[in-house]
Amino acid sequence: MAEGGKFDHLGLMNIQADTRRHFLGWGAGGLGAFFLNSTMAGAAPAGENAPLDFTRDPATPLSVLPPQFAAKVKRVIYLHMGGAPSQLELFDYKPVLARFHGHDCPESFVKGKRLAFIQGIPKLLGPMFPFHRAGKSGTWISDRLPHLEKSIDDLCVIKSMKTDQFNHAPAQLLVHTGDPRTGHASLGSWVTYGLGSENQNLPGFIVLISNGGTTANAGKPLWGSGFLPSVYQGVACRSAGEPVLYLDNPKSVSRAERRKVLDAVDEINQQTYRTFGNPETVTRIAQYEMAFRMQLEASDAMDIHREPAAVLERYGAEPGKTSYANNCLVARRLAERGVRYIQLYHWGWDSHGTPVDKGLNVGLVGRCRETDQPTAALLADLKARGLLEDTLVIWGGEFGRTPMWENRGGQEMEFIGRDHHPNCFSLWLAGGGIKRGISYGETDEMGYEIARNPVEVRDLHATILYLLGFDYRRLNYPYQGLDQKLTGVKPARIVSEILA
Amino acid sequence: MEDRAGLSGRLSAAAYFGCVALLTLAGAGLAMLARPAFAHGVLRTLGLETAPQAQSRSFYATRVAPLLETRCVSCHGARREKASLRLDSFAALLLGGKHGPVIRPGDVRNSELYIRISLPASDERAMPPSGKPPLTEDEKTVIRLWIADGASGALQTIAGAPPPVAEVKIPQDDPAAAQKQRAALAQSVRRLQARFPGTILYESRSSANLEVNASLLGSAFGDAELLALLPLQARITRLDLSGTAVTDTSAPVLAGMPALRSLRIGGSRMTQVTIAALRQARALKSLTIGSGQAGHGALAPLLEKHIAIYGGGDAP
Repeated sequence: MAEGGKFDHLGLMNIQADTRRHFLGWGAGGLGAFFLNSTMAGAAPAGENAPLDFTRDPATPLSVLPPQFAAKVKRVIYLHMGGAPSQLELFDYKPVLARFHGHDCPESFVKGKRLAFIQGIPKLLGPMFPFHRAGKSGTWISDRLPHLEKSIDDLCVIKSMKTDQFNHAPAQLLVHTGDPRTGHASLGSWVTYGLGSENQNLPGFIVLISNGGTTANAGKPLWGSGFLPSVYQGVACRSAGEPVLYLDNPKSVSRAERRKVLDAVDEINQQTYRTFGNPETVTRIAQYEMAFRMQLEASDAMDIHREPAAVLERYGAEPGKTSYANNCLVARRLAERGVRYIQLYHWGWDSHGTPVDKGLNVGLVGRCRETDQPTAALLADLKARGLLEDTLVIWGGEFGRTPMWENRGGQEMEFIGRDHHPNCFSLWLAGGGIKRGISYGETDEMGYEIARNPVEVRDLHATILYLLGFDYRRLNYPYQGLDQKLTGVKPARIVSEILA
Repeated sequence: MEDRAGLSGRLSAAAYFGCVALLTLAGAGLAMLARPAFAHGVLRTLGLETAPQAQSRSFYATRVAPLLETRCVSCHGARREKASLRLDSFAALLLGGKHGPVIRPGDVRNSELYIRISLPASDERAMPPSGKPPLTEDEKTVIRLWIADGASGALQTIAGAPPPVAEVKIPQDDPAAAQKQRAALAQSVRRLQARFPGTILYESRSSANLEVNASLLGSAFGDAELLALLPLQARITRLDLSGTAVTDTSAPVLAGMPALRSLRIGGSRMTQVTIAALRQARALKSLTIGSGQAGHGALAPLLEKHIAIYGGGDAP
């Protein structure tokens, strides 16, 4: 991959490798290293954390690299329901909780526990909607997701997800970067860093947002590249108007003129690079070039006007709008065009019951109506086009919701809601390498704690990377003296039971 | 008095050493009575007693031992022996530690090991101790059932035990072997990768198999270009020709690709002529077609060969 580069590649590598820490380290440890080197001669730098080689020509930082071992899937579509949908209203059926609806909750649920808003002893809140078994698999589902129900036998529902974060932003960061603080590389960045992108005219990692207006909660760090080179960060695209703001040429500027401008900028950037040797300069040149190529390709990929009316109808998509339905359809078009990691965010699932739109009986119903049909259409469409075989689709929020009726400030509230609950939540996966029509893990009868087969967020990450052909320990990047990994420093487990 | 005088006077060497030996033996005997684990240890070292052993395919060896190994042995094993308790062998587990046996075969309620792992995490006697994740319900069940059924080292299956969790085995990478396998075609691969950038890729870092995604080139990729890939055909396992200009002329080429497992032809210029020819493709497992590319009859021979077919109709 490295040969024929436009740049002095070796020089770049040297500059990347030399830091002040290295210099000081050599002063103190140099002699010891000589000793070790002589005694341990021949010991290969192997081991379970031995990093893989991701060297690329800096001028084409998104060029494709093969996975570590044969992959089950080539791309990921992650449907994040921001705000944390209630598992107790969608997938995790709790008849015993229904029996105790309206009773005071057991003291053990709140005593010594840290809850976001609940105070005192709240009442228990049974499931708001009826549940039934669906499909050949007999998977439990509520009546809020009638379209998804048709694809239920393609899903693997994990009911025993857990997290250690009970506020939205850190919990979202944990789900998408493996760490509750900002500054870590997102899952999509790791994947594009590891595998590159098939289509060089589109970003390898595209983010589509609906029902947010703003990028709520954790915001852009959710698709940031952290310590990885910034070229691997997600690119947020709009589904109405220009996909990327200012991507099109201004009126009366032709493509040829734009090319001339870019050539001039390129020359200046190369001078800067020769002077300072900062690899981010090379990234910048590559980004300008990609944007130029994207002018043609991105507009086409995002343009759902070209889809037949029947397809638009199945998704419930309306060209020109910003909606989850449009984003689902765009996600399929991007998957077809070889985009590696497609991230959708649909906000508004934070059903506290404070204002009416945050009520389980109104807000959640609305979110289900907005997302159910498009999600199901996306799954069915991917399946019909043979894409589900090598695509991994993930649906989920950042934590779960309490089996208790939220009583903010100790007051009974006007609308019905549930508080944040990190102890357990539900999430589903579908696609290549995943068992179909199964439920994995269980919560206790009240839906308060996990009773069986807990899945930590890092376990989910390890499993996703495995499906993409990587050992999570070896997809790492040296930063601040640590071989940084998506899963962090704690051991993770690939959830073998859900693998096909 | 006389005896006293005798003792305080001269004691013969034999008598002295005899006394010491007697006292040592008495001490050792007492210790062995007080600490059966120690007694068994001594007897086994002297070869007077054989240590119980579990059979290699027993429930203990396949289910209980691996669990103790990952969850307990770092503190109760060869390196550290907290409370003089080792859980790294069948014999040691049955022996117990300084507070006596931890397993009472058939009696779960009085088996200290089970009591400790079942305590709530807040209890300071709970095992594993604070900060370490407690055993899962399934892991506790495995230990409970095993003790209840007599803590046997021979029993192979126990009714009601949760199914074992398979560990995912990460394939070992062997760059040298991969390089050797790739050597024969390496030059052709490099040449064609330069001609069709970004479309030809090894299946993985340790594989010589190739995946070709010509869909990225669209109509710039036709029959002549496909023909150019022929030198690689022994290694091509996936081929995506969606949206390319490849026509039915290439049908025999595709049908003859010996390693081709997955093929996509949707949106290309191929018709049911190619689909009919694909009956001959030896390794084909999956075919994705576009709308109107095949009448229902054309697919029947492929379905008979258990080839998965995707697409074909207007999407659902």
